[in-house]
This record gives sequence, structure tokens and C-alpha cells, in this order.
Amino acid sequence: MADQESTNKELNHQMGISTDGSQFLTFQLGEELYGVDILRVQEIKGYTAVTRIPNTPSHIKGVLNLRGTIVPIVELRTKFGMPTIEYTMFTVIVVVVVKEKIMGLVVDAVSDVLDIDKKDIQPAPQFGAQVDVSFLNGIGKAGDKLVALLDMDRLLTDGDMTESEKIAA
Amino acid sequence: MSTDLSHFKDAFFEESQEHLTTIEEGLLQLEQRPGDIDLLNRIFRGAHSIKGNSGMFGFTAVSQFTHKMESVLDQLRSSQMVVTVEVTDLLLQSLDCLKTLIDCAKSGEAPNDELVSGLGGRLEACQNGGTATNTVAGAAPPIPPRATSEHHYTLTWVPPQYLFQRGLDPTQFIKELGELGRVKIVSLDTSRLPKLKELDPEQCYLGWALELDTVKDVTVIEAVFDFVREDSTLTIVDQPPAVASSNDQKPLGEILVESGVVSQTELNQALSQQKRVGEILVEQKAATPEQISEALKKQSDNAPAKKTETPSIRVDTVKIDRLINLVGELVITQSMLSDLGSRFEMSQLPVLLERVAQLERNTREIQERVMGIRMVPIGNAFSRFPRLVRDLSGKAGKKIHLILSGEETELDKTVIESIGDPLTHLVRNSADHGLETPAERVAAGKPEQGIIRLNAFHEGGNICITVEDDGRGLNREKILAKGVKQGLIAESDKLSDEQIWMLIFKPGFSTADKVTDVSGRGVGMDVVKRNIEGLGGTVSIKTTAGKGTTFTLKLPLTLAIIEGMTVRVGKDTYIVPLLSILESIQPKREMIKTIVGKGELVNVRGTYLPLMRLYDVFRLEPELSDPTKAILLILETEGERVAVMVDEILGQQQVVIKSMEQNFRKIEGVAGATILGDGTVGFILDVRGLLNISRNGTAQAA
Repeated sequence: MADQESTNKELNHQMGISTDGSQFLTFQLGEELYGVDILRVQEIKGYTAVTRIPNTPSHIKGVLNLRGTIVPIVELRTKFGMPTIEYTMFTVIVVVVVKEKIMGLVVDAVSDVLDIDKKDIQPAPQFGAQVDVSFLNGIGKAGDKLVALLDMDRLLTDGDMTESEKIAA
Repeated sequence: MSTDLSHFKDAFFEESQEHLTTIEEGLLQLEQRPGDIDLLNRIFRGAHSIKGNSGMFGFTAVSQFTHKMESVLDQLRSSQMVVTVEVTDLLLQSLDCLKTLIDCAKSGEAPNDELVSGLGGRLEACQNGGTATNTVAGAAPPIPPRATSEHHYTLTWVPPQYLFQRGLDPTQFIKELGELGRVKIVSLDTSRLPKLKELDPEQCYLGWALELDTVKDVTVIEAVFDFVREDSTLTIVDQPPAVASSNDQKPLGEILVESGVVSQTELNQALSQQKRVGEILVEQKAATPEQISEALKKQSDNAPAKKTETPSIRVDTVKIDRLINLVGELVITQSMLSDLGSRFEMSQLPVLLERVAQLERNTREIQERVMGIRMVPIGNAFSRFPRLVRDLSGKAGKKIHLILSGEETELDKTVIESIGDPLTHLVRNSADHGLETPAERVAAGKPEQGIIRLNAFHEGGNICITVEDDGRGLNREKILAKGVKQGLIAESDKLSDEQIWMLIFKPGFSTADKVTDVSGRGVGMDVVKRNIEGLGGTVSIKTTAGKGTTFTLKLPLTLAIIEGMTVRVGKDTYIVPLLSILESIQPKREMIKTIVGKGELVNVRGTYLPLMRLYDVFRLEPELSDPTKAILLILETEGERVAVMVDEILGQQQVVIKSMEQNFRKIEGVAGATILGDGTVGFILDVRGLLNISRNGTAQAA
């Protein structure tokens, strides 16, 4: 990771982009804009049907065959307690790598890749966003847009993704 | 010289293991066939290879020790000494010591000098005792007796140019010849020597013409050059000197190919280290050795901390050739298909179907062959037992005859590696508990010598390994009493024979009256069972009092692919391992009983089995909720049975197991995932896990 980051910076430097922060892939959930560190993103793919996993919380949508690898898919809306909506042609799966595990996030639509300077990132406020702030790294400002920056490690390594839970009768 | 030898060292350690096995097997057989000269030769060759190889890597402790063993072996070979139990014992002990020495060389630890020198001394003493004539104590090489049949050999030897890069010293070979008899250097062949400015100091350009007076056979002399034989020009003539033949200088590339790719050992090595030495050697076929050594060095510089052992498999080249042919076929089929696809018309549909069928055949065959690469004969795992049984019979004072069969049966390498220990436990158990002492056997009217039989064979998609003894059999009462005493069962429990036998697999269970060095501590059998089940296998026992006991291990051929039955529940597809399915039935109303607080039971030919509705366990939406309309699969695991209810059976197919833990976590009741024919993911049921869920479920409901 560290290597990748430094190469990335190096590339930016060569291309004449001066950035102290990093690049974020932003996507939409409802009215809000969320961002993930672009280095965490492996690919973006259109939504395809998944296989449900028995006895798992509802935000775990199921698993997908991604070129031979079994990848769990998380419904971010459900995870954040937002109402589910009908999937559209814009619904995509953002495939991310978190601690060497590959996972997919279902989001309403991807929007942009934004450069956000470190100085433009503020700590997450304790209210306002429709999301549990413990999953946020901060709020980034890019132009007139506000982006909620997700903390992937915390978001996807909490209990239900890694540990076996007790199965209730 | 900075050539990185570590790759070659790995190969040396691997090869040494093989030689050690050969020697051990040979020595054990030698006891039965003391006069077998072929066998002795084979043992000798093994020892000789270890000696030479270790010398070339600078493991002097190993080579010196092997030299002493070799001397004894040589005397056995030349009938100056006879094979006795004492000699075999000594050689076997020395072999163990040699193993330790090699392990030490590998790990860089200091060997136990006391043991080494002690055994070394005994070997020398044995050798001296054997010749009992003209040997002088000390390190001086034995003076060859001047026999009437002394030969006068003329040798010419032009070593390969890479000699120095392999860490070999030409004078070492000549010294070794000196040990065989009187050696004289007649002339030096300098015809290959280039001009000074073209001279590469890391190449060997010289050749030798030698004279040797010895009683030894030509093969013995040839054996000296074993390691470089393939690439040297060596002539041995049993007559007065001839003119040394000069050798055309080979193109460098050819030498490299010969030394690096074509020769058997190198090929194997290249294969085992595909991404490392192999590729570089192949890519740089025409490069100078310096470039190669530089590449090697660069590589090791890039990955300095990578010292971990990578497991490797030696694969029969025939297997690889076949695979390559198949891949060729696959490519042809693919190009035929794409050709067809580029100008497809509906009228060509039959052609398309035919080619798709061909593609399917190709793919299946390739799959089988690729799996076959991981398949190694079980003989590798069996080979340790002759020695083990010999030691055990010595310790326990029993006479044991070990019969091995089915060694050629192939199974997955990982499986072989993991069954070694369980099998050892079972064999120990048979030798210690199963077989009686000679006196007891005679009293029971049996031959004095007990028999332990190890057999391996295929049965369906499984491999069965049996460990059979003709000893006293399991003692039902004793096991029962012990079981009650240890609180494993209640006195009132009515147990079937099978259930009683299974008690011996409980942790801490032992009926042995006395704890011996070998077994009786009650550790082991539970480990056996756990290991085997960890591999997806089962253990069963058949025993007759006074006649003997047979343990049968049933293992899957491979861990990566299983035969499965696809079933449907509502819209979801699951795969049930075929191994665990006993039968499938559609029950009648009267077969199903509901017990308050315990769930449902189904009566299958007089036995009541718990009925588990898969949709309940996994919280799915079923199409059918009436058991009499649905299908019940009777599944078995570890002797427990359960009836699992599903909507429909879809079919049977081989599935490749994919890990769920890799990107997610373990899911109770699911052994893994697989990719179904339509590209979606299906789950493989874990029968054990299902039982656990249902048990927890009923426990909470009660």
C-alpha cells in the first residue's frame, strides 16, 4: 500500500498535479455524496444478481463470482440504515480491497474522482449526516461539493464481516 | 565467485531426502536379502551421491560422515564383510545421524558432535574389524590389496566448463581416484584453453589424461565422476595409454542448455522453481554464465528476506508432456470455435454443438491431468513404516512382519503429507496393542510372527487405506469399563459395537495396562480421527476378538474438487457432498413424528432420524413445506445421521471448492462455495455444521 501511495504521489507530481491529500472515488447514496480512497478501489462493475448467504445480516447482500473469486457484496444503503430502492441502470458495485480482502459495495451511482487536499478535509461532525459517523474519516470539500469520506477499514471489518456470529434459533 | 548457490542447495536437500529414503529402504531389504549386490549398489550409489553433493556445497561434516558409511558399505559390497544385524543397526543409526547432519546443514545449526564422532568411530571400527588385515588406524585411505586382477586403466577426462560454478574442484575427483588405487597424471589437455584476454577465470578449460592401477571395476571408476558425467568427456580404457582426445569447443549456449535445461536434474529443478532459476535460464539461453549468475544475484538481492521454504513437487515429465499435448488440442479447438463464431449461420448449429462438446472433453481432461500433477503415489508415505516396524518390534520384543501393498495408488500431495502422522499412530497402535507377544501368540495357536498389513486402494471417488493386524482384537468389555470409568458413557447406555469401538478415538482414552514408550498414553487416536476428518475423511474399525483389527481410513482423492449433488430450496441452489449422502427418500405421512421440544423425527426402516428442514436452518423461502411432497436426503457424518429436507434434487456434478473465508468469513453449515454452471455462486453444505445448528436450535427451543 505504502509503495502504491508513493508511486501515486510521484505520478501526480510528474503530471503537474500538486496534491497534499489524495484522490477519492465518489458515489451517490440517495442525495448524499460519499468518497472512498481511490487506492482502495479495485474496479467498478454493473450490478448483477448475487447469491444470498444464509444467516447473515440484511446488509450483506450475498456473494458474487468475480472471475473465479468469491466476493461478498454489501448493500451500503442497508448498512447505513437508509431505505432500499429499486436498482436502476446506474446501480453499480464498487469493488474495494480492505485488509487484503475483496468486497463489493452496492451504491446508487458513481460520480467522479476528486482530488481533495488535506486542508479541505474536516473531522466528521457528530450530527447531520444520515450515517453513523464512526464509519467516517471526515468531510471533504471539493469545490461546492461536500463529500463524506468513508473509513473502509472500520466500515468493513466490524463484526459481521469477519467474526462468526451466533446463530439464533 | 559470487554465484548464488542457494537454489542448487535447495535441490541438494531435496535430492538428499530421496537418497536417504533409498538408503533406508535398501538397508531394510538388505536384512532379508544379504547377498543382493544390486541392492548394495543402490545403497552405495545413494550414499555416494550424498557424499559428493555435500562436498560440493561445503558441508564437510556431512560428506566426511557419509564417507565413513560408504567405506563400510563398500566392504559389504566387495564381500569383505557380511551383513549382520549389528552392521545393519549401525548403518541405520548412522543414517539417522546423517539425516540430522543434513537437517543441521539446512538450518545452519551446529550438529551434535559427540554423537557424530561416536558413530563415526564405530563405523571406522566396524570397517577395520571387517577387513581385519592391513588397515592402519587413522585417516589414511585404505591401501588396496594387490590382487591378481589388478587393472591398468587409462582415463581421459575433460570436465564441463561450468565445473567451477557448481563449486566442484577437479583435483577432488583425481584425489578420489587416488583412493581407488595408484593414480598418475600423464598429461594435461590444454587444447580448450583460450587466449589470455579471452580467458574467463570462472570457467574450467583443462582436461586430464590419467593412469590408474586398481583392482576395482570400471563402474566404480565411473561412479567417481557421477556428478559431472553427463557433460564431461570421459573415456576409460583398460589398456596402455592412448592419446588424449581433444574436444571441440561447444557453443556456450549449447552447454548452458545441456546443463541448465535438458538434463534431468536441472529440468526438475527448473520445474520446481519455475519462476526462479528456470525462467531466467530459459530466457537467457544464449547468455554468458556471468550474465546468468548476475541475474541470480540480482534476484537474490531483490528478495533478500525471502528465505521461507516453498513446497515443491517433482512431476513425471510424461505427465507434463501429456498436459502440453492437451493444451495444444485446446488451443486448436478454441481457434476452430472462434473461426466458426466469426461467420456463424444457423445452419451450422450442429457443428457448433459438436465443437463445444469437444471443448468440454478437452477441458475435463485437462482438469483431470492438472489435478494429476498433484497426485503422488502413496508409497512415499508408506516408505517410513518398514523402519518404524523394525524399531517397534525390537522395543516391544515382538516379531512383526509388515506387508505393504497398493503403494502405487496415487493421491493428492497435501493429503499424503497429512496422513503420515495418523498412519504412524495406527501402525504403532497395532504393533503395541494389537499384536500379542510371541508367547501369547503361540499359546493362542497362532504363528509366532505377527502380521501388520498396510494397504491402499481406490474405491469410488475415495481412497481407502487399511491398517490391519492379526492380533488380539479390541476388547469390548475393557473398552466399555474404561469408558464408564472415564465418564465417557453411562453404564446404562446401550451401545452398538461400532459406537463402542469409536470410544477409542475419544481424547485421553487408553486401555493399555501399562504405558510404554510407544503408546498407551491415550494421546494419539483422537488426533488420528481429528486429522483424518480434517481432510474430509472417515475412520472405521472392524475387529474380531482373537483374530485381529482393521482400521480403514477413507479419504477424498483431492481436497480441491468434490463430487456433489445439487439441490434446490426455493430459488436457491445448494451442493451436498456426495460422500455424505446415504440415500434420498420421499417420506410417507406416517413416517414423520413430531416430538415436543425436540423437533421432528423421520422413521427410516425402523431408525428414527432427526428431520431438518433446510429452509428453517438457513431461513429461506421454500417452495414446499410438506415433507411428504419434498425430498429428504439422509446424510451421515461421523456416524451420525440426519434427514435434510429440500425441494428438489437437480443433479450431480463435480464442483471446485472455493474458500468463503478468503474474502468473508466462515458460515455455519456451509463448507465452502463453488461456481455453478450459470456462473452464479452456490454453497456447499457442511453436514457437521448443519447438525450443530440444529442441535443449538433445538436446545434453545427446549
